[in-house]
Amino acid sequence: MRKLTQGNEAVFRGAVAAGANYFAGYPISPSTEILNVASGWAAEHPEFRFLQAEDEIASANAIIGASLAGAKSFTATSGPGFSLMQEAVGYAQKVGVPCVFVDVQRVGPATGMPTMPGQGDIMQVRYGSTGDYSPIAFYPNGAEEAFRVTIEAFNAAEESLSPVVVLSDTFVGHLNEVIDLDELAAGIQVVPRTLVPLGKHEAGRPRFFAGVLMYEHGPNAGEPATADADEYLRQFYDAKHRHAEVARRYALYEHGWNRDAKVLIICYGIVSRVASPLSADYALFRPIRIHPLLAEELRAISDRYQQIVCIEANDGQYADMVELALRREVKRVPLLGGRISLEAVRDGLDRVLSGGPSEPPIPPAPTEPVERSPLGVG
Amino acid sequence: MPELAFAELGFKERLKVDLFPTIWCPGCGIGTIMIQLAMVLDEMGMNETNTIIVTGIGCTGRMGSYLKHESVYTLHGRTLPVAEAIKQVRPEMQVVVVSGDGDTASIGGNHLIHAIRRNAPLTVLCNNNEIYGLTGGQTGPTTPTGTKTLSSPAGNPNTPINLQGLVRSSPHALYAKTTVYHQIHMRNVIREAIEHPGFSFVDITSQCIENNGRRIGFASANDMLTFYRKTYKRAPKDATELARFEIGVLYPDGHATNGTDGAATAAPAAPAAAPEAAKAKPVVDDEEKARRRAESQKRLALMQRLDPEVKLRVAKGELTLAAALLEAGIDPDGAA
Repeated sequence: MRKLTQGNEAVFRGAVAAGANYFAGYPISPSTEILNVASGWAAEHPEFRFLQAEDEIASANAIIGASLAGAKSFTATSGPGFSLMQEAVGYAQKVGVPCVFVDVQRVGPATGMPTMPGQGDIMQVRYGSTGDYSPIAFYPNGAEEAFRVTIEAFNAAEESLSPVVVLSDTFVGHLNEVIDLDELAAGIQVVPRTLVPLGKHEAGRPRFFAGVLMYEHGPNAGEPATADADEYLRQFYDAKHRHAEVARRYALYEHGWNRDAKVLIICYGIVSRVASPLSADYALFRPIRIHPLLAEELRAISDRYQQIVCIEANDGQYADMVELALRREVKRVPLLGGRISLEAVRDGLDRVLSGGPSEPPIPPAPTEPVERSPLGVG
Repeated sequence: MPELAFAELGFKERLKVDLFPTIWCPGCGIGTIMIQLAMVLDEMGMNETNTIIVTGIGCTGRMGSYLKHESVYTLHGRTLPVAEAIKQVRPEMQVVVVSGDGDTASIGGNHLIHAIRRNAPLTVLCNNNEIYGLTGGQTGPTTPTGTKTLSSPAGNPNTPINLQGLVRSSPHALYAKTTVYHQIHMRNVIREAIEHPGFSFVDITSQCIENNGRRIGFASANDMLTFYRKTYKRAPKDATELARFEIGVLYPDGHATNGTDGAATAAPAAPAAAPEAAKAKPVVDDEEKARRRAESQKRLALMQRLDPEVKLRVAKGELTLAAALLEAGIDPDGAA
């Protein structure tokens, strides 16, 4: 049935379509609708477990516990909450726990601007936790895609045995689109549970899930390997290769608009919707699988364009990765402070394509009192 | 429940003895807690198919690797959210959390407050040694005022956290206090805690001789245990609050055995989460128990007749007792 669906709700419904049966979360704008919908769903579906945790640290660790116990689990938050979850993300990477983290971004750092859209968590997803790991992350640009991509995220989590991130932003999360969820769900395969749940292990061989290095196989299984670099290498590269192989199967992106144009725009999430009126004059590369970088796909198309411009609501986080991978200059149009508008995109493109700086002209601070908003803030 | 005078040896089935000796320092109290927990697990028919162990970071956290159970060694302080979620997803499983005072009450303090508030159906065993032992002996949340530690050389200026008060802030939670010296009491209260359907917390005073005890004037672990024996007394049966050096159980409001400290007349209810396990466990009648007891005592007596070095090899499993006896020319059925 076609129905007006909000981006955040589409993420939740996608999770359920993927077989999710556990949600833990803590209220935070602009992701809170996911928590609200989850609590209502749990009230009507007792097999779906819900926890409103005391903080994001508890939410992240709860979905890890739930996943180990056999549930397909997920949480939703925004940038500041995702910062609190980073240690748990690293734990899930080390232990190999399939689960999904949804980050509906707002302007940061710190408390930032809770109601303004931003895309400042691209690098937090990649490098936020301590140590080395290779995360898989997706970033849809609308409600329909949010639904589909969330299902794919759960599938990738099961196949890679790792926490997979679904990025979103204030606009995508609060966008309402008419979509037919049932029809969409019918076209997507769901990967069943992979990790053997707690207590259903091979008899006589109970497992020890630890964030420290332990031997996993052979006669030493279950014993600490804290002084064995070779064991670290075995486990690290095993996970790295597994994640890369799974990521290859989910190489989702869009290469479109005017492919004969001389300039390639790279943008993702809501920025790709805002910039779409420029479709006649520019080519578009829109990564949906945002991590790991779609390097091969970019290399295959980049040579035909004279210039590459990355437009993103951060100070060039994705552009850095692209530049490094292509070893050529990538111009940047940073849309900062929540100013994600066609005008800002146009101005930025004109500026950088005519050899100007990425930093926009900034007017001096007001000398007169600024009129306060009726809400008394800002 | 009646106190057991002599333990059965079935508890060894709950331990990965092939990984012994443990990582803990000689004289540490954690091993005692582990043995008592293993005895309770054995008594209650809890095994690797029906009971999950969740531990935190710190010396105590390593217990999960020695118990023959599926166990999760969580991030520092995060035992309770992990355990609560496991219980939510798999309510038929028994979930036991084992952690130290630092993990439970300091870095994990917020989770503790809220697990109590939500009456999460978990049992928490807190190895309360009043110190951060693994990092060398820094002030912990339960370190008494005035105690000198590596991080409070002039004496801890703060008041220790009131675990009893925190747990008792909920009308549904069970709080028990015991020590490593009072082993049978410890075993009984651990069992009561596991049988309690809501949140239960066992606060176990235990000795850390290496990184606390010696610094505050105890010569040995035995000295610390003697101190516990002389200082800690059982609380009155109808106690509603435990004084600093009292051990006992404080039941939630409306509990049938309120204030009886484990001496309930009615048979304890089977744990709600382990009915299958209770069925699966072979019934051990009194006769069988007596036979096992005699066998164990005989074995012990024979061991005493061996050279200390040979005895050690037998204890480590390098040599069977029969082979050792044969080598030493001792007739196992002969008189001593």
